[in-house]
Amino acid sequence: MAIVELENVKKVYTLGKAEVHAVRGVTFTIEKGDFASIVGPSGSGKSTILNLIGCIDQPTEGIVSINGTCTEGLKDKALTTLRHETLGFIFQSFNLIPVLNVYENIEFPLLLGKNRPGKKETKEWIEFLVEAVGLADHMHHKSNELSGGQRQRVAIARALATKPEIVLADEPTANLDSKTGQSIIELMKKMNSDLNTTFVFSTHDRTIMEIADHVIELLDGLIVKNSRTSAEAGNIS
Amino acid sequence: MFLTMKVAFRNISRQKKRSFLLAGAIAFGMLAITLMNALTGGVVGNIRDNFSHALGGHVFITGREWTDAGQMIMKIRSDANLDRLLEENASQIEAFTRRSQAMPSLIFGSQQTMHMVYGVDFSEEDKLLDSLVVTHGSLDELGSKDDLIILPQPVGERLGVEVGETILIRLETLTGQQNVGEVKVAAFIEDQEELGLSAAYTSRAYLNTLLGMDSHEYQMLNMFVTDLDFVEGFARTFREGLRTLEEEEEEEAEPAVTVTVAGMPLDPMGEQEELTPWEGTRYQVMNINQIMEAVELVVGVLNQVGLVIFLILLVVTMVGITNTFRMMMIERTKEIGTMRAFGMHQKQVKRIFLWEAVLLGLLGCMAGLVLSGVFAMVVGSLSLNTDPSLQFFLNNGKITFSLPIGSVFLNTALVVFTSLLAAYWPARAAAKMSPMKALSSHT
Ligand SMILES: Nc1ncnc2c1ncn2[C@@H]1O[C@H](COP(=O)(O)OP(=O)(O)OP(=O)(O)O)[C@@H](O)[C@H]1O
Ligand SMILES: [Mg+2]
Repeated sequence: MAIVELENVKKVYTLGKAEVHAVRGVTFTIEKGDFASIVGPSGSGKSTILNLIGCIDQPTEGIVSINGTCTEGLKDKALTTLRHETLGFIFQSFNLIPVLNVYENIEFPLLLGKNRPGKKETKEWIEFLVEAVGLADHMHHKSNELSGGQRQRVAIARALATKPEIVLADEPTANLDSKTGQSIIELMKKMNSDLNTTFVFSTHDRTIMEIADHVIELLDGLIVKNSRTSAEAGNIS
Repeated sequence: MFLTMKVAFRNISRQKKRSFLLAGAIAFGMLAITLMNALTGGVVGNIRDNFSHALGGHVFITGREWTDAGQMIMKIRSDANLDRLLEENASQIEAFTRRSQAMPSLIFGSQQTMHMVYGVDFSEEDKLLDSLVVTHGSLDELGSKDDLIILPQPVGERLGVEVGETILIRLETLTGQQNVGEVKVAAFIEDQEELGLSAAYTSRAYLNTLLGMDSHEYQMLNMFVTDLDFVEGFARTFREGLRTLEEEEEEEAEPAVTVTVAGMPLDPMGEQEELTPWEGTRYQVMNINQIMEAVELVVGVLNQVGLVIFLILLVVTMVGITNTFRMMMIERTKEIGTMRAFGMHQKQVKRIFLWEAVLLGLLGCMAGLVLSGVFAMVVGSLSLNTDPSLQFFLNNGKITFSLPIGSVFLNTALVVFTSLLAAYWPARAAAKMSPMKALSSHT
């Protein structure tokens, strides 16, 4: 089942009088459970595509469908709800809420929703996530008391808090040294297989790219290669 | 709701110095207006107390009647209707006194001076006797002898008289004849009000003889009520109960009140020239609030000036809040983007900022109130030895603060409202920011 579908998607930014064609007609799907990587040189359109999938930006042309919902023409409120219910985010610069501690940061997306799970259930789930990302000892620390790698672990747990279908990560390792970056990608991969959550991340690091089972290569806003080597299905689209 | 409040609350302590300055500005405004309100409130209370003390009551009834010769005189005869009213409302009356009054010349040797003299029935004047501070002589004989007088110390000094000596009283009777009497000085009393409000006191029976009235008649019925809050209604009961049928028909306008330094709460005869004589006694009922009206008018104006200053302070603070919130919005752009990405709705973003404004406003108000409380306690405990004329505004030489709870709420509401208003536009701008742009910002 295709959980992400892009159909002839174009994105044009206008900078004053100049037009920037960031994405120039892209079509691909990502299947549920994929650990997908979007790669390409700087300016090739990786962030733009992740923003479009993440429903925080809308295409100039073409159709983006997330978990079966076509995002075309949706208002901010509907998009926000869609993001809350289906998506999780990991950012290059971690973006933790500085006034909240580790536990609260992870809990945060859960509290935004209308129908939240019970208190006890929530607590158990958050503690499970904290444990899973290896930060049980840092539960009540603020983000400025953590290292970059630790912060990104919190961010991973946070992205998974609402049990989203898809987690998007725009260059999650770019602000980390390569060893830490590697461990972050491995953690993401572990969560991907443990929870069967679809991950889509961008990178220009070749070694990291190799962990992905689905690689989309971009150049100047166009797909130059789309290869899928899913362990279970094995089919290449 | 809870989440936005929590984040807002944490955000307040994020930039402690900045929050402190903003809340401090609000606190300062609150301090100013609260002290102003409390001070004027206290002064009004003190003036009312001092007045009622000086005038010997809260509600004053006077009676007027026409003589056969066509003169209007001030006099209350025994009246079954009035007695009934007094009895029916006894539970609301703390004490009452029936007095006559005159402004005679007091003469001793070659000295003379005009001074207010009350003719009182000492047996019903416990409150008065308690409040008098005797400097020479004693009050013991007052009940048994009629031709005694108590003089304020300065009056005695002016006349050069000693306790036990006799002075002359020269006055006009109610109908305008000259009359002279003799009274022995029983005691000197401290001139408490320091404004010349202290009168001299003699027995009503004796003053009545000099004025040409029967001993059981009097000119003014003064009542202390048990609860000042109900004084208006109480006075109305008497006003309506004492009104004659003709009076009701005439529907005469309430006479204007003039307060004289001599302590007469009303202007008994000076007014309407074209008055047609009537049968029997007509009553006028005054209450302390009518006399306080002038004071309260001034206080009201003062409070309004205070409010305007407060509003100006608030507007200035508002500019500060708006600027600060705009700065906060810019500083937190990425954070807002993150929250929006995770599914925070626009109105929730707005709410965070608005909660911050409310909390800031409330913090400022609370600080302001606490500061004014401390200030009032410190200043209120000082005994001020000021100019005597200022004593009238004080309570035994102390400044009193009395803050109506209503104005606290009003001022707090004003602060919260202006903070909300000031934060509204930055909050809205923060909410309207595109999550994508917010996330790609470099702050
Ligand atoms: N908000 C924007 N306004 C104008 N132009 C933009 C905007 N965002 C991206 N672009 C342009 O669109 C193109 C694609 O940008 P994008 O950020 O998607 O590339 P990227 O592959 O993520 O690059 P990088 O590896 O540097 O992050 C670039 O030329 C960029 O300058
Ligand atoms: Mg990018």
